[in-house]
Amino acid sequence: MSLTTGPAASAAAVDKSPRGGGSSGSARRPRRSLSRHNLTGWLFSTPFLVLFGVFMLFPIVATLLMSFTDFGARDVTRPLEADFVGLDNYTRLFQDDKFLTSLFNTAYFVVVGVPATIVLGLLAAVLLNNGIDRARTVFRIGFYAPVVTTIVAVAVVWRFVLDPSDGLIASLASEVGLTAPDFLGSETWAMPSLIAMAVWRNLGTVMVLCIAGLQAIPAEVREAARLDGASGWQELRRVTVPLLRPTLLYATVITTIGYLNVFEEPFVMTQGGPSDATLTVSLDMYREGFNFFHMGYASAMAYVLFVVIMGITVLQLRLLKDNTR
Amino acid sequence: MNRAAAIGSLALTLASALTLTACGGSGGAGVAADAKQTLTVWAMGTEGEKLGDVAKAYQKSHANITVKVTPIGWDVAHQKLVAAAAAGKLPDVVQMGGSYLGEFADMGVLEPVDTKTFAEGDFFPAAWQQGTYDGKAYGVPWYVDTRVLFYRTDLAKKAGIDKAPATMAELQRDAEAYRTKAGTKWGLSIQPGGLDTVQSFYPFLYSAGGAILDQDGKAAVNSAAAVKALENYGSYFKKNLSEKSVRPGYDVTKDFNTGAVPMFFGGPWLTSLLDDNYPGLKGKWAVAPVPADQASVSMAGGSSLAISADSDHKAAAKEFVASLTDAKGQSDWFERTNDLPANTGAWKSGTLATDPAMKIWRTQMDTAKSTPAQPKLTEITSKVDTAIESVTQGKSTAKAALDKAQSEIDGLVQ
Repeated sequence: MSLTTGPAASAAAVDKSPRGGGSSGSARRPRRSLSRHNLTGWLFSTPFLVLFGVFMLFPIVATLLMSFTDFGARDVTRPLEADFVGLDNYTRLFQDDKFLTSLFNTAYFVVVGVPATIVLGLLAAVLLNNGIDRARTVFRIGFYAPVVTTIVAVAVVWRFVLDPSDGLIASLASEVGLTAPDFLGSETWAMPSLIAMAVWRNLGTVMVLCIAGLQAIPAEVREAARLDGASGWQELRRVTVPLLRPTLLYATVITTIGYLNVFEEPFVMTQGGPSDATLTVSLDMYREGFNFFHMGYASAMAYVLFVVIMGITVLQLRLLKDNTR
Repeated sequence: MNRAAAIGSLALTLASALTLTACGGSGGAGVAADAKQTLTVWAMGTEGEKLGDVAKAYQKSHANITVKVTPIGWDVAHQKLVAAAAAGKLPDVVQMGGSYLGEFADMGVLEPVDTKTFAEGDFFPAAWQQGTYDGKAYGVPWYVDTRVLFYRTDLAKKAGIDKAPATMAELQRDAEAYRTKAGTKWGLSIQPGGLDTVQSFYPFLYSAGGAILDQDGKAAVNSAAAVKALENYGSYFKKNLSEKSVRPGYDVTKDFNTGAVPMFFGGPWLTSLLDDNYPGLKGKWAVAPVPADQASVSMAGGSSLAISADSDHKAAAKEFVASLTDAKGQSDWFERTNDLPANTGAWKSGTLATDPAMKIWRTQMDTAKSTPAQPKLTEITSKVDTAIESVTQGKSTAKAALDKAQSEIDGLVQ
C-alpha cells in the first residue's frame, strides 16, 4: 500500500456520496441559448468527463450492480445474464470466517500502524526542522526514499532483513548469542513485521506534510514559548502539536484510508500467510475476484470495505476536528 | 493495486463484455487451410518466448501462413485470457495451463479437439485427461511436467545411504540419516503452507492411492488413503525433518547447493537450473522416482494447446497445432526448451530414449495422475492448501483438516 493511492480511493468514495460533487445541472436557470462561452467550458472539460465516466463512474456503478449477482467465470461471455441474488453476497460475507479474519487483520494493521506512522513521521519532521541543520537534505531524502521506491525492490530488501537463517536481523542476533524469531513464518510475528515495513514506507509522506506545517508556524510563537521557559517537550506538546492539528488530521485520515486498503505488503511478502495471519480485506478481495472469479462476491466485499472506510473517515473528521474554535 | 484499481479492473472486464453481442459455440465456416492468412497464438512464460522461433520455421514451410506469437507472463495470463474470452477476442490458438482448461471449456470459448486428427493413444494418459472436460477433449497435450525426487548423492554416502529411497518408509529413514549422520539442517524440503502447497503433497497423496476428486468429479479428499498420506506428510514437520515456516519466493536450489536440504521433489526445469547456477554441484546429485507407498505415483502437470471456438482459421490452426504436437515437433520442442514431450512417440529416439535420468522422468510420467479439469479447480486446491497447512503447523489432525476440506469442496462441486 502506498499512501498516494489512498486519496484515489477516497475520491471515488466521495463521488459516490449523495453530497458528492455531482452536477448541479438540475437547478433551474433562465433559459439561455448555449453561449459560446459556455460551450468552450464544456469542450475543455469533455476529455476529463469522458475519462472519469469510463474509468471511475462506470466501474463504481457496475461493481454495485455486480455485488447483487452471482457473477462468475461463466457469465463473462454473457454478463447481462448473471443471476440476481439480492443481498445474498452480503449475508454470506458476514458468515464467512475468512472474511471476518481479514477484517480483524486489517483492523490490527490500522490500529497499530496508523499511530506509529503519524508519531514517527511527526518526530522525523520535528528533528529535521529544529535539530539537524547540516545534512538536512540527506536525511530528508533518506526518510522519503522508501515512499517512492517500488514495492518489488522494497520486498527484496525486507526479505533479506527478515530472513530467519541468513537475514540481517538474524545475523546480528546470532552475533550477540540470541536467536531472532522467524518473522514472516510465525503467526505472531508476521503481521508486526508487515506493519513495520508499512510504517517505514509511509512515514516519509507524513514527515513531508508535517515539515510544511511546521514551517507555517510563526517563529514568534515559538520564541514566546521559550521566553516563558517552556522545555523542548512542552513546546512540542503545547505549541507544535496544537498548531499542526489540521496537518495531523489530514495525515491521519489518508494514512487510515491507505492502511484499510492495505494490499501490497501481504501480497509480496507473505501471500496472506502463515495460516491467513496476514490476509487483509483487499488481498482476500483480489483472490476471490481474480483467482476464484467470484466477481459478485468480490464486488460485495469492495462495497463493505468502502462503507467501513467512509464511516471511519467521517468519524475521524468529527472526533479530531478542532473544537476549541 | 488498491481498491479503486481493483474495482476498475473488475468493471473493465464487464465493460468489454458489454460491448459484444453474445457469441459462443462455433464460428462460421472460416478460411480454408491453404488460403493466405495470419494465425494468432498466445503462449505463456518460457514457452511463449521460444515459440516464436518455431513459428518462423513453420512459416518457411507454409508460405501462405503468417504466425503471430504473443508471449504472456504467467502472472497475468489468467486475467488476460478471461478478459479476452469475455470480449470474444481469444487468439486462434492458445496455450492452456492444466488448471485453466476446465474453466474455459465451461465458458464455451474453446473448440472441441478433432479426434480424427489427434489420437488419445499418442499421448500420456494424464496429459490427455488434463485437456478433457466433461468427457470431451478441448486441448491437445503440448508438454508435460511431473515431480521426482532430487537427492544429494555425496551426502548420502556420508549418511550411510547406498541407494535412493524406494519406499515412503525409506524416505523418512533417509531424511533422518541425512540429518543425524551427514549433519544437514533438514531432511526433506516439502512446502509447509501457502498457495499451491498441494503440488508438494500430490506425490504423497497419489502414491497412497488417494485423490482430491474421484473419477466422477466428487470430493474424495478425506478418504482413508488421503488421511494416511497427510499424516505421513505432517510427520516430517513433527520430527523437525522439514522446515515449518513458509518462505515466500523460496528457492530450494540454493539450500540444495549448500547442503542444508539434501532431498526435495522437483520438476524437470530444475535440472537445467541446477546445472546452470551450480556447475560445481554436477555429479553430486541425482534424480529418483517418487518413493512408493501403494505404488509410486507423481503428479502430472503441463499445458495443452486449444483452438478458440470463434476462430475463423480453425483449419490452419489445427494444422499448426498438429505440427507442434506430433512426435517430430515434440522432439524439436524438447531440444529447444527441455520441456518433457506429451507425445509418447517423441520418447522413442535421441536423448529422450537413452539418457538414464530421462528414463526416470518417462517412467514417472507413465503413471502420473492429473486432477480432473474443473472450472473451480483453483479454489478447490486452495481448500486443500489450507488443510495441509493446519497439519504442518500442528493445529489440527490430518483427519479433522481433511474432513473440513471435504465438506468445503463438496459445496463447490455441486
